[in-house]
Parts: sequence; structure tokens; C-alpha cells
Amino acid sequence: MIVCVAVVGHQNNPLYLQSFTEADDALKLHHIVHCSLDVIDERVNNPKKIGSVLNETFLGLLYPTENYKVYGYLTNTKVKFILVTRDLDVRDADVRNFFRRFHTAYVDAVSNPFHEPGKKITSRIFAERVSTIVKSFGLSAAV
Amino acid sequence: MEDYGEELRTPPVSLVCLVGLPELHSTITTYLHSEQPPVNTLALPDFSKISIISKKETLDSSTHHPGGILKKDWLLKHRTKIPGVVAALFASDHVYGDPTQWMQVCTDLDNLKAAVRARNIKLVVVVVQSSVKDEASEDRMTALRKRAEIDSKYLLTFPQNDASELKESLNRLGSIFAELANTYYRDEGRRIKTRIEKKNINFMELNVRYCFKVAVYAEFRRDWVEALRFYEEAYHTLREMIGVSTRLPPIQRLVEIKTVAEQLHFKVSTLLLHGGKVLEAMTWFKKHIACYKKLIGAPEVVFLHWEWVSRQFLVFAQLLETCSASIPNTASFPPGMLERSLTEWEFYPAYYYQLAAHYLREKRFCLELALSAPETSAVPTGKDIRNGSDSVVPSVYVGQYARLLEQGDALEMHLADTEYVLYALAEGKRFQDSYEIIALFKKSSESYSSLKAQRMACCCSNLMAIEYFALSDFSNAKQLFDSVASYYRQEGWVTLLWEALGYMRECSRRLKSVKDFIEYSLEMAALPVASGNETQFSEGKGKYGPTGPATLAQREMIHNEVMKLVKGAPVTSSNLEVTADQPLHLEIDLVSPLRAVLLASVAFHDTVVKPGSSTLFTLSLLSQLPHPVEIDQLEIQFNQPICNFTITNAQKPQTEAVSGEQVSRSEIAPALALITNKWLRLTYDVKSEQSGKLECISVIARMGPHFSICCRAESPASMEDLPLWKFEDRVETFPTKDSALSFSGQKVIQVEELDPQVDLLLEATGSALVGERFMVPVTVVSKGHAVHSAELKINLVDARGGGLVSPRETEPSSMDSHHVQLLNVWGPNGEDESQMGPDEIRNIQQSFGLLSVPFLSIGESWSCKLEIKWHKPKPVMLYVSLGYLSHDNEASANKVNIHKSLQIEGKTAVSIGHQLMLPFRRDPLLLTKIKAAPGSDQLATLAFKEKNILIVSAKNCAEIPLRLVSISIEAGKDEIEQSCTVQQGCGSSPKDLPLLLPGEEFKHVFSVIPEVDSLKLGLGEVCLTWMREPNSEEQSPASSTTGVEVRVLTRHKLPDVNVELAPLVVSLECPPHGILGDPFTCYVRIQNQTKLLQEIKYSLADSQSFLLSGSHNDTIFILPKSEHILTYKLVPLSSGPQQLPRVTVTSVRYSAALHPSVTASTVFIFPSKPHLKLDSEATRKTELIATS
Repeated sequence: MIVCVAVVGHQNNPLYLQSFTEADDALKLHHIVHCSLDVIDERVNNPKKIGSVLNETFLGLLYPTENYKVYGYLTNTKVKFILVTRDLDVRDADVRNFFRRFHTAYVDAVSNPFHEPGKKITSRIFAERVSTIVKSFGLSAAV
Repeated sequence: MEDYGEELRTPPVSLVCLVGLPELHSTITTYLHSEQPPVNTLALPDFSKISIISKKETLDSSTHHPGGILKKDWLLKHRTKIPGVVAALFASDHVYGDPTQWMQVCTDLDNLKAAVRARNIKLVVVVVQSSVKDEASEDRMTALRKRAEIDSKYLLTFPQNDASELKESLNRLGSIFAELANTYYRDEGRRIKTRIEKKNINFMELNVRYCFKVAVYAEFRRDWVEALRFYEEAYHTLREMIGVSTRLPPIQRLVEIKTVAEQLHFKVSTLLLHGGKVLEAMTWFKKHIACYKKLIGAPEVVFLHWEWVSRQFLVFAQLLETCSASIPNTASFPPGMLERSLTEWEFYPAYYYQLAAHYLREKRFCLELALSAPETSAVPTGKDIRNGSDSVVPSVYVGQYARLLEQGDALEMHLADTEYVLYALAEGKRFQDSYEIIALFKKSSESYSSLKAQRMACCCSNLMAIEYFALSDFSNAKQLFDSVASYYRQEGWVTLLWEALGYMRECSRRLKSVKDFIEYSLEMAALPVASGNETQFSEGKGKYGPTGPATLAQREMIHNEVMKLVKGAPVTSSNLEVTADQPLHLEIDLVSPLRAVLLASVAFHDTVVKPGSSTLFTLSLLSQLPHPVEIDQLEIQFNQPICNFTITNAQKPQTEAVSGEQVSRSEIAPALALITNKWLRLTYDVKSEQSGKLECISVIARMGPHFSICCRAESPASMEDLPLWKFEDRVETFPTKDSALSFSGQKVIQVEELDPQVDLLLEATGSALVGERFMVPVTVVSKGHAVHSAELKINLVDARGGGLVSPRETEPSSMDSHHVQLLNVWGPNGEDESQMGPDEIRNIQQSFGLLSVPFLSIGESWSCKLEIKWHKPKPVMLYVSLGYLSHDNEASANKVNIHKSLQIEGKTAVSIGHQLMLPFRRDPLLLTKIKAAPGSDQLATLAFKEKNILIVSAKNCAEIPLRLVSISIEAGKDEIEQSCTVQQGCGSSPKDLPLLLPGEEFKHVFSVIPEVDSLKLGLGEVCLTWMREPNSEEQSPASSTTGVEVRVLTRHKLPDVNVELAPLVVSLECPPHGILGDPFTCYVRIQNQTKLLQEIKYSLADSQSFLLSGSHNDTIFILPKSEHILTYKLVPLSSGPQQLPRVTVTSVRYSAALHPSVTASTVFIFPSKPHLKLDSEATRKTELIATS
């Protein structure tokens, strides 16, 4: 189950952060997302260590913490997507697929002429799309 | 890790027991310790002590149910008490001695054998030779071996007569010990292994125990692979026991299994890490945690589980840290490894410390929960727990507890679970976890910082600060939160910042720091927190800071609270107050986080203004506070305090102006309310009398009776966005109505100077001449202003740029390095300005001058003259500026400045040339001249004691006529007196020197007779004195008024010459002119000036114009110091200038020929006898000029 998704701007400021849990742990998720930026920095600054293809936008598992796992994705404009999940066994393909769909939704949201680049995303349509994508996470393999 | 015993943390070392002969023990012990691998020794001084290693009778464990999994002291026992080898030391004199001694040996040996046999301990018998003389008795040795029932190999003699022998003996002993110990541990391991392999063990506990033992024996043998295998085996078997075993009550059962698992895991991790298998160790750890994390156990003792998990992380972190050197760089891992299983941070202890702290917090939370639960809190109070748990002690088995029934007999009894829970709670209460948690977070934070993972470090610091807060250590908490908050501010994580600020606000409330409390409250109220999800705040209160979740409602609440406080009402929850005794003043600068609370942008509508005229000035204020803010009074401060003014809110009841402050300008505004995200714009006139910069520095907003905020004024053109609000999607407006002004407006305006009403005139005419003292008249005429304390600044600057000094051109001879020099300033009436009053300024340097101008009332004028001298022809810019005050009051008024400049050319007045000539028709033979290679640059050569002619020419290069005053040649230094005689050339006395018109040239002739035969003779300098021709209309400015010497002396250095004695002088003597057909005589006089006989050849070329008589060519000899004269008679045949027949004289000795020049051998032939009227002198003069 995805507990949180976030969009982080290129200055590492949060642009969008939505948690999907019943429990009131938004603050904790904020901390987790913020800390995961360190791993992204580390990966971006030392691309050789990961051994993955340079052009890869999907950064993989960033770090496991407590009961959560954090995955990252870096767009060409240095905007980061972060996914926090509570599932213990997550398939890479699912996460990749999720990020791909999320990226599309993000591109559509920022292509809105009324959206100012670099500002927080407040679009309701985007939020709805994101929650749809989140709900279908993990089911896509069956589809 | 320190919780584990030493025996668990270090690899086991073989143990050897020495019995008998205590004096040798220390030698052997030391030796065995230094062996590689080392061997520990158990030293028993005599054979009676042997009972400690003998085996106690135990029950057959395979049939009875074991009491636990591992015995606590088993490992320690094998490391310190039960040796693998026993060495019996006997003195040789006892062995070979009398029968009683021998019998004693045999008895000791038998006792020993009995003790050893039971445990399969290997036996070594050592016969120590006490002296050399001991004769070995074969029989006794054999008897001894048989008695001991050992291989002959293990019966040693131990000679120790000298050092080398002792060494040898020790070596032998060491290798035997190592071999036997190895055998012992292998046998023991094998023995237990067969038990496992039989698979007929009834109890899983025993299976685990046996695996553990095999692994330990393998460790004794340093067989790490087998040790690891069996530890893992034990671990897995143990895992299977969960849920199967029913031996103990469920809570204690799980506790025991976890404790054993922890030990086994620790062993496995240590072996893996020390074996360099870091990746495996980490994977193993992950599995371990994943396996046991869910085994939470009974709800009453959940805290035990979390404590256990926390310990796992802590121990692994410490293990990682201790062998961090062996951790390979992550770069060396095969690609894909990281992606699949491990991430970056999992390679560093920081990660594990952080999680250890996290689970410890969890433990504390659960413990608190358990303690407050009704069933536990109701039954035993704290005292009861302690009383009840006094007799509970750790049992002999790892991870078990028992009740001690009778102290004396140490009889134990199993506990019931309820008892155990009470005991665990009592134990849990005894420890203060907070400090442990802080220490762990601190370690983690430091470690993350060193990895440059600032956000992780920040997160840890934050949690650390929360712990401090929980401990009521508010100052420490505040300090930590402060650093955390500044990081979150920088990155714009508002929610996280909100939490930290909330804590800091609470800290300052508890610390009674009103200022901090208000600052944090204001910052929080002005944070960009949208009205988002404001649900279920009440239930999750523990997870947020003391101010609750970041919502708009909370912001509004904080805003209202702080505004009440500011207006003088005390905050109900604490006794914070802003009173007259403690007025509060906040400063908001350009980087303050409080800029969102109050942002002041000020702009002048113009960039420059005349003094005294007013300009428009707009003050714009912006606040992001959630509710409108009423300001009582605004005070605007400028760098010119006279311009300061205040704006008072008309709606507020007017308190009288603050006493003690001088009443300055005061305005009244209808309303001063700041609405969220809406600029409050106020436009006023500002007038400044003082020229220069007028800058708005700050705006002070007063709210309530004792509270003010001083906000640094910002120019709209260079204003930064609000750091946190710039990411928000909000309506952005311009600070000023005129949007252009928002882009260009400045908080600074330039107040201009007054227009000068004084004229400054520079009246130089024409260009200056090099060498003269050139006068530039300067006139100051007052038109509209009186001139007070004025100063005149004079500057000379090279018109082509650069300074007036050029190091390349500076010559050592020139006295000053300035090519153009300001010499003096002459007053209006010619008096030297240096005779002035003491308060007058006067400073004349070579290219700079400063002098004061006296007071001038309106209409008056004052003038002076600048005296400037050029040393080199050079155009120069002359800058003159006059600064004056238009009023006498120096303090108030500003200086008015007038600048004038003038370019003046400097030109060379006269150029002087010279020419050296030989005397007419007299040719000295100069050898150097003949020998000199043509074209080589050499000094001119003059003949010694011959009269030479020097012609000096002076050309007027200037554009004005110049009057020559005198011309002469002066000795450059002292040599001329003796070296040569220079005479004024023929005639012309210096009195009647002509007026040189521009472009004209004047020539003057000097004769030079060298008196010294020198290779380098200085001729001195030409000194030419000249002056400008005084103009009748335009009086010479200098001479008339100042009496300065107007004559200018120009010097021209003559080149050095070479003087040599001419051995031969040939002179041609013939009349100056002839008459057609009238014969005349011509002589060629050849003088021999040497002391040698000279052979001379001469030849005469015929000329068509003359009829000639005399010898054509011949060779003659001239005696020393005598002369020879050739005589010719010539009859001219044609008129006009005619060439005489050429005489060529050749000196055989010097092989040099002398050819008289063509001009010298030309003679004018008159057709008939002329009637000459000119006087003889004039004729000669013309002739001389013609020759040149």
C-alpha cells in the first residue's frame, strides 16, 4: 500500500505531498520524504556507484526505514518524485510503472498555462489523478 | 555490545593446564601467550588442586528434559576452567630419585589421570631437569610413560641449563600443546557432532545446544567456516522452536529464545564481519530483523520486544563501527547489488544507530503504556514491585529468570509469567531511556553529518531535541531546534519547520523568554500553511509538536494569542507579558525569517532631486499574518535624521508623542491596517536641504503601548522574494501602484548640489615653450554667491593619459622626474602666495596644488597665476576646481564645486644643431679617419693643436618670434680649461644677435683648438639664452607683474671628439681668386710633424682650365719637424669657379693619401680685374658661410 507520494522541486522544496493513510502520521512522512532527498543527492552526485544507466530516471529503492520503503524518481528538470510504501515485498516493475504514470500526470499538471513553474501544485484534477494511480498500484500486473 | 560477556565478544583461546613446579609457570605462561595463536594457561601449583577440573556427575541429558537451551557459564567454563591439555611437571630428581620420591610421582600421576580421563583431556608429562648432572634413567622414563599411558612423544624432558636450551624446550612444549589442544577440541567437537548426526535427540533445546558447542569447539580450533556453519544451524533450529516448545510459560519462553537468538546472531555477525563478508553480514542482519521483528509477544511486555530490537540495531551498529576499516567501498560492489537489496545508508553505522534510537523510543512508549495500564498499575505500586522482584535473579540458563528461594542453598524455582512481567516492569522502570535515546540520535546525527547527509542528520537532531523537550531540558532542546529550523527554512519544508517552531515557541514559553516567544509565534503565524486537511487533530496529538498540526486554524489561533500579548494582555497559560518595564523591540533585517510578518518596501519616485525641493516617496508594507494587523504608528527613518517623520493611525486614540523625543514631522493616516498579502501603500512628500545621498533606513511599526518592530527598508527594485512564500500559489501584487516603479524604485535618492554662481576662468594663450616659466592666469568671479572658505585645486595630467612621469624616459641627468611641473602660484598682484596667513591652506606639489581663496562678496573677483614649467614637449591637461560654501555656516551648507580644464601644448622653442669642420685648405693626415671602416659610428676626430671650426645653428621651432640674447659654449665640467680652447668665431659679438622669426635659423661659428691629445674630449655645451619677443600690445604676462626672469637658457650638449696628433699636415696656399690670363702661384706645403723621415709621393692631375708649370709627380723625403713646399705657377684659361689641378699626396710610411676637397681646390676666376667695394671682413664672412 502506498502511504505517501511527493513531488520535490529542484531546490529540494516540496511541491506536492499527499499521504494516503488513515493514521495521522503526515508529519512523520514529511520527515521520511525529506530525508530521502539525501539519498537522491548521493546517487545523483555519484552515479557510478549505482552502476545503473545514466539516463535512468528511476532511482530505485532509496532506503528502508522502520516499516516503510522509499522509492525515488528523478525527472530531467531535476524534479523528484518520491513514493513511500508500507509493503514489504514490492516489485520493481510495479514501482516503475507507477512512476511512469505519475510522471505523465505531473507533466499534464505543470503544462497548465495557469501553473507557474516552481510553485506548489494545487490542481485538484492532479490530486484526483494521483489518488487513482495510487489506488491501482500493484494491481497493474493483473491488468 | 558491552552487555555481552567478554567470552562472547572475543574468539575463544585454547586452555592448557600446568600442574606442579610453580616456579616454572610464569615462564611457560608468558611464552604461550606470545605464541601465534596464543594459548591461555591455567596454572595449578600442586597436584592437590587438580580436583577443580574433574567432572561432576551429571544426569544424562539426553533423556531428561533440559532446563534451558544454553547454560550461561558453559562458554566461560571452557575458556577458563576446563583445559584441553594438562601438563604434569615433575622435577627430574624426583623421577630419578629414591623410591619414596618415585612413589609420590606415581601417586600424583594416578590422581591426575583419573581427573583427566573423565573429560578426555590430553595429558603431557614433562620431566624438568634441574641440573646437568642428572643422569637419565631409561627405566624410570619407560615406567613413567607406561604409568601415564601416553605416547612417548608426550613424555618430554625439559632441559633449561642456558637460554638457548630453555628456548628450545619451550618451543617443543608449545608445539606439543598446540597439537594436543587442537586434537582435544576436534575430538570434543566430533563427539558432539555425532550426537547431532544420530538425529535421536529428543529435545530441540539440546540440538541448539550441541550445535552451539560444536561451533565453539570449531572456534577454539580457529575453523571459522565450521563455526559459522554450526552457529547458523543453531540459529535456524532455534527459530523452529518458536511455537513448538512448551517447556516454559509463553512469555518467558519467547524471551529465552530471543536472548539465545541474539547471542547466536551476534556470533554469526561477528564472524561474517571479521571475515570481510560485509554484504553477507548485512543481508544476515536484515533477515534476522525481518524474522524476529514480528514476534512481538504478549501485550504486557511489548516493551521488552522493542528493547530487544533496539539492542539488535545498536549492537550491529557498534560491530560495524569497530570493523569499519574492513568495510569495502560501495563502488566495488557488482552493479545491481545495491538496487536489489541494500541501499547506501545501510552500509553505515549511522543508519543502525538511528533505528536503534527509534526502537528504543518505541520501547519507552510501550513501557509507559504498560505501566499506566490498569491491570499492572492497580496491583503493584512501585514499592511492591521492588519488594517482589528482589528475589528474582537470572537463572543458570541464558535468557531465563528464576526466583531465589533460599539464599544459602541457592535453590531456584521457575517463575510464573505474571511474576516475570512484574519483574520486567520493575526493571524497565529503573532505567532512564531518554538519555540513551539522545546519545544514540547524537551518534547517528554526527555520523550522518560526516557522510554529508544533512537532512538525515537534521532529522536525528530533531528527534534528539524532542527527547530533550520531553526531559524538560528546554535550553538544549531550543538550541537543537534552532539549527534544525534554519535548515528547514532554507529548504522550504514548511510542515517540518512548523513542528520545530512549535517546539521552540513552547521552549521559550517555559524559559520565560518573551521576545523569542513572540518571534516564533509571529513566524509561525506567517508561515505559508494552507487551509488543508484539518481533520482528526485531537486523536494524534502525540505525533505533532506542542502546537498541533500545521493548519490555518492553528495559525489564526497563534496570531490572536500573540497579538493579545503584544497589546499588553498577558498570555493565560504562562506569565509572559509585555509591559512598560519590559518593552519589546523586534528587528527584522533582510535575512530575517520574520520578513513574512512585516515587509517594508520604500521607493522614491525620482532618482535625483534638487535640494530644498520635495519629492514623492512611497512606503509599502506587506504582511502574511492570517488576520489584519492594526498599526498604531509608523516611524520612517532616513540617514538624514532631519527628514524622519511619523505616521499616526487616525483611528487609534492618540497618545501624546513620546516624551523626550524632539518633535519632528508628523503625519496622520486615516487607517493603518495590514491585510494578509495586500500591500499597504502610503505616499508622502520628502524634502531634503542637504545634498548627497538620502536613504530610507528603516521603518518602525508600533503596535500596542510597548511593542515595536523595526523593519529594514528595502528597495522594490532589489527586493528578494519571501523565501517560503515564493513557492506558494498566491496573488502577487506590486508594492507600488506604478508597476514601473516596482521594478526600478530605489530607497536611495541623490540630492544634487546647488548650481554654482561663480565663474572660474582659465586664460592661457597659445602654447608653452619648453624651459620657460609659463604663466596661466586663473580668475574667480563671484556672480550670485558670496564665496566662503573656498579652495582651489589644481591638477596637471598628461593629456595623452598616463602620468607625467615616465620611468623609461627619465634620465639620470634630469634633476626632477616630472616633465611638466607646477612651480608656483602667484597672487593677484604678483606677490608670492607663500606669504599668507597661518590658517590658509597652501600645498603645491609637482603636479598638484591646493590653495585657499579669500572671501569674496558678490560681484568681486580674485585671480592668481599658475607658474608651470615644461621640461619636455608634452601636451598637458590643466584641471582647476573651485569648491566653496555659499553661506558662512559651515555645518549646514554643502560645498559647491566648479570644474574647469584647459589643454596646453608644450613645445620646443629652439632646436640647436652643430657641425665640426677642418680649417680651410689645410688637411692634417688623421690616421684614425683613414683606417676607420666606412659607416662605423665613431666620434669625430680633430687634429691636435690645429684650429678646427665648429658651427652651431639654432632654429626657431615655435610659432612666435624669439629674441636671442646670447650664445656661448660652456665647459660641461672642468676639463675644458686645459683640454681645448674655444673661441668665439670670427667677429660677431653677442650683442647684436638677431630676432628669430618662426622657422628661421641662426648660425654661429666657433673655433676649437684641442690642447690635449685625448681619445675622448668633451667640448662642453652650447648655451643659448633667448626670450619671447615682448609684444607691445600684449604685455608679457610674467615680466611685467612678477619680475620673474623671462630669459630662458637652452642648453645643448656637444658630442665628445677624438683628438690625435696629425703626422703630416698638407696645406694648400693659393690666392682667393684669379684673373683670366693672369698667372698666380700656388703652394702645397707639406709639414712633417713627426720625428721620423717621411717619404712622400705626390702627383698632380692636369686641369683644362689652367696652364700649369711645376713637377707632376715625384717622391720626396721630408726631414723630421720640417716642411717641404711644392710650388706651381698657374695661368687661368677660363673664368668662373674653376677646379685647380688636383694634388694627391701619399705618405709611404702610413700608406695614406691625402686628397684636398673639391671645394678647397676651387678658385673663382674673374674675367677681368674686379673692383671690390666690400670690406674685407664681410667678404670673409660670406666665404665662411658659403663653405658650410
